Amino acid sequence: MVCIRKATVDDLLAMQACNLFCLPENYQMKYYLYHILSWPQLLYVAEDYNGKIVGYVLAKMEEETTECHGHITSLAVLRTHRKLGLATKLMTAAQNAMEQVYAAEYVSLHVRKSNRAAFNLYTETLGYKIHDVEAKYYADGEDAYDMRKQLKGRKHHHHHHHHHHHGGGCCSAETKADEKPGSTEAKTE
Amino acid sequence: MASKFGLAGGIPERRVRPIWDAVDSRQFKNALKLSTALLSKYPNSPYALALKALILERMGKNEEALSVCLNAKEILCTNDSNVFVDDLTLSTLQIVFQRLDHLELATSCYEYACTKYPNNLEVMMGLFSCYVREYSFVKQQQIAIKMYKIAGEERFLLWAVCSIQLQVCCGNGGGKLFQLAEGLLKKHIASHGLHEPEALSVYISLLEQQCKFGDALEILCGKLGSLMMIEVDKLRLQGRLLARAGDYVAAADVFQKVLVLCPDDWECFLQYLGCLLEDGSIFIKDSDPIHPLKSTECKNFQISEELFDSRMSQAVDFVRKLMVEANDNSARCPYLAHLEIERRKLLFGKGDADKVVEDLMQYFIRFGHLACFTSDVERFLEVLDYNKKSEFLKKLVKECVGSVSGPTKELGQSITVFKIQNSIGDLFALPVNDLEDIAVRMIEMFCKNLPLSKELDVQESMHGEELLSLACNVLVQLFWRTRDLGYLLESIMILEFGLAIRRYVWQYKILLVHLYSYWSSLPLAYERYKSLDVKNILLETVSPHILPQMVASPLWADLSDLLREYLKFMDDHFRESADLTFLAYRHRNYSKVIEFVQFKERLQRSSHYLMAKIEAPILQLKQNSNNIDEVECILESLRCGTHPLELSNEIRSKSLTFNEDLKLRPWWTPTSDKNYLLGPFEGVSSCPRENTHNQIKQTEENVVKTVEKRSLLPRMIYLSIYSASESVKENLEANGALVDSKLSLELKILLERYTKILDFSFQDAVELVLGFSSGQKPFEAPSPDLIDWMNFAVFLNAWNLNSHEIKFSDTDPSSTSTWNLVNIMFRKYVTETIRCTGPVVSSPGSHLPFLVQLVTEPLAWHVLIIHSCIRSLHPSGRKKKKGGSVDQSNTQLLHEMQNSIQSLCDTIEMVTRWLKEQLNTPDDEKVEALFSSILRNGRNDGPGKVFNILESSSSLVKDVEVGARILEAVQSWSPAGVVRNIITGQRSLLSDFLKLCELKLKSLQTVRLQL
Repeated sequence: MVCIRKATVDDLLAMQACNLFCLPENYQMKYYLYHILSWPQLLYVAEDYNGKIVGYVLAKMEEETTECHGHITSLAVLRTHRKLGLATKLMTAAQNAMEQVYAAEYVSLHVRKSNRAAFNLYTETLGYKIHDVEAKYYADGEDAYDMRKQLKGRKHHHHHHHHHHHGGGCCSAETKADEKPGSTEAKTE
Repeated sequence: MASKFGLAGGIPERRVRPIWDAVDSRQFKNALKLSTALLSKYPNSPYALALKALILERMGKNEEALSVCLNAKEILCTNDSNVFVDDLTLSTLQIVFQRLDHLELATSCYEYACTKYPNNLEVMMGLFSCYVREYSFVKQQQIAIKMYKIAGEERFLLWAVCSIQLQVCCGNGGGKLFQLAEGLLKKHIASHGLHEPEALSVYISLLEQQCKFGDALEILCGKLGSLMMIEVDKLRLQGRLLARAGDYVAAADVFQKVLVLCPDDWECFLQYLGCLLEDGSIFIKDSDPIHPLKSTECKNFQISEELFDSRMSQAVDFVRKLMVEANDNSARCPYLAHLEIERRKLLFGKGDADKVVEDLMQYFIRFGHLACFTSDVERFLEVLDYNKKSEFLKKLVKECVGSVSGPTKELGQSITVFKIQNSIGDLFALPVNDLEDIAVRMIEMFCKNLPLSKELDVQESMHGEELLSLACNVLVQLFWRTRDLGYLLESIMILEFGLAIRRYVWQYKILLVHLYSYWSSLPLAYERYKSLDVKNILLETVSPHILPQMVASPLWADLSDLLREYLKFMDDHFRESADLTFLAYRHRNYSKVIEFVQFKERLQRSSHYLMAKIEAPILQLKQNSNNIDEVECILESLRCGTHPLELSNEIRSKSLTFNEDLKLRPWWTPTSDKNYLLGPFEGVSSCPRENTHNQIKQTEENVVKTVEKRSLLPRMIYLSIYSASESVKENLEANGALVDSKLSLELKILLERYTKILDFSFQDAVELVLGFSSGQKPFEAPSPDLIDWMNFAVFLNAWNLNSHEIKFSDTDPSSTSTWNLVNIMFRKYVTETIRCTGPVVSSPGSHLPFLVQLVTEPLAWHVLIIHSCIRSLHPSGRKKKKGGSVDQSNTQLLHEMQNSIQSLCDTIEMVTRWLKEQLNTPDDEKVEALFSSILRNGRNDGPGKVFNILESSSSLVKDVEVGARILEAVQSWSPAGVVRNIITGQRSLLSDFLKLCELKLKSLQTVRLQL
């Protein structure tokens, strides 16, 4: 009943609503836009039959480091649509795209230590492993697990994703969405 | 043109770096000092100047910044070969110009640099981004083509192609431009091929836009198709292209493949079914994303009965296969697919309703405990008649009783039964007693199941959370039917009870926002709204829950905050969005460029945005209406009131968008201008759900009218003030200067426009208003229309001061002028409204907002006109002329003024008396009276049963294990506090209004002293 599809810019309205209903915290719209305009292949929504958005995953590529890897920024599924495996499907879609489109070697995410449901989803269903613990990662002082999952990673890929940094100049007034820590606030049970 | 190593804008980097560091650490004062020193060494360096401008802008010194920037630009654009120009200089200037809202100046700098240094790609890219920021699609295309010709790079070609697509989709370019784009791409592919997946998407979309589906398929299935990395994406696209090309059989095959890979893809299943039935409507994109056409409701089956049968059995076989293969227990799609096939059969006239009910039961057994069940099956229920729906409901109840599953599942199923009952409209047909029982059962169920949530974190949703919203809906309906306040209070009680246990439930908060607004406790409604923590784009989709009520309220400071925050978000977004567009270009996400520009346009055409843009200045005028000089300043800043007018003209030339998520609204107010509770209960036939679609359409039409009406106000106020003062001068300088007839004429034209929106000709409208003086009663008070008519009467009077076109017969002594007419109208309508309005505490849906608007809008404008007259009668310095007496020709006007002031004071005093009466009743008395409405005191019927359960819950939770958090929340919850909050909210609203009235009185009395 739910279709997992790539997000469009128009979906932003519903995605932010989704976030309001799932999480106490809400990202700035610029942050969503920054993701969708930079890595549109990594944003997926779960759409119910009447066009209602009931979940989404927001992810990005970290290309600055030596190993090209993906990062899951945010994952949300509406309460009404939990226990349907949607979070798994959304995550799988994003991970596949990281691997196939961007040849990512691994994917990382952060999760609250106390979020047992999400932790179980990542370790048991999706095969993530704890890589590190980041102390006081969240604004309220809670620690985060830095988790990783190895992807197969294609050796050969003809689509190179360049960054063409242009403009900017001094004082880097160039547009950049707020670089807020990519806290994967998953509420999906 | 050069960027030399170690040089920044031609200046050694070591000299500039301290300035960069100071700016980055926000030490602007220090930065400015350093920059001044730098300039003394390099007085003619554009870069040094640009830096200074940047610092000045950051310090908020915009005018200085602009002048320094212009200086830099001037030096830059001289032909002096000693002037050093590099990209750093240009981009720094660009940043400052952009922040100063002078994109065009930045563009012209780059344009100059491009002619001075032709073929420099870096500068050309800068110029391209300037055009992107200005949304100049044609110029974008031209410069991109130039870059492509120089560098031969694929991305520049795609930038050009995108710019062409934008001309067609968002500009006024014709479809023929697509051919040009296609030609460019074809030529490039022939010599260089394509290398980016997004380039392929653009190429295919270009072909699709020209309906060249065959060509698109050929590309997709050819060598280039390998650019598409994700197999199902490719298959989905292939299926769509095949279907659009009319090859439904092949398309259905492709969609089957997708379904095998993704068995839970509902969209794909519908497309598959569409192909089997040879109905392509599902593939045509809706232009309106918020109100999508239900394309699947389309019934124009074009295939024969025979074919239909064979295709449907083909679908049944396939779905059965999917079910067998699916090892995923949570996949709903195959089951719903089954139902969908049955539904299509029914629509085709070959179905079996019993079979649908049977399948629905199967679906219930599997998924009935899920919160999404009801919305899942709604479309299938729609095709059943009432009897079949009731049969389904009966079966559900039976199934629910018989099932032996865990407590969570059982609770889920029970909630589903309630929701289905609500969804099929059954609740509206029940007698009051039965309805009450349902509410009681819901609350009992909620309390009984509290232990299920004992271990949940406060941020987790509770089990059975929905029961409280459902019960609230039922109780509000009970109130609507019986008008018994107790039910209304109970509906609020249960939501507040729920919030005490878990404060994050947005559904409760939204319901409360509407209930408190309805019960004149707007400050409390606003508090609940604020606790939703609405920000970002949600300001656009969620703030309509509160904004309309606030506009008609005396809570001006809060309204001002709301409008400011919302407009700031939107305007910031519009300012920054072009930069984000360029981000998409840089990342080569061409399809997103177009989507994003369209998204920006959608927000720019938002009805809500336009409304806020127009209400913000009206609010300012209201806030300052006791000071005519202030009002004139505000009007001046609105270009004499023409600005809102131009705004609405400009935006209305395109169609407005409506972005509010109406599904979040409670049933009794499906749109912002409709509240069923304000009218009588009209039985099942008025079951609002059925009317929603028409209601939405009606509201959208109303919004357009309201926006236009409101956008006229500032200009009409300006012209009225002017007209009033001119009329006095005309008398003073008898036979002297001519009155500016142009402005008088304009006022008449606006009045004509205004009446046209009210569906009247000017002449008819005038007659209608004048009819009032001869004892006719053309309008009912109170009604929202009346505010419009009073505005009309007020401005008509102002216009008549100069035009003298409306004359009264001398035989009617009661209303000898339009002044008198307006005064009497105010008095009469206020009297009538107060007479039919009870105290707010016992009259939810009170006429208070009407009174507030009457006093703070038309009456305030009328007083401004009086102010204007009197100011002209006594211009400063002329006061003592001729022993202080005014010219004789103005004696009559003076008389009118005195009468008007007296009459308006009387009218306002009526309001203040009414307000004081209510404020004089002690809160304790009100609390007690209201509370008694839900205390049963031996009564057997009427409200109170639900409240009883809540009350006993605190003793109940002692005996069962609910966890410390819930236990404490339930025990510390105070029902009396809920009642007191309502009363306090009402008091604060009333006293705010009283203050406004008293200020108005005071200002009138001050004016009287000047006479």
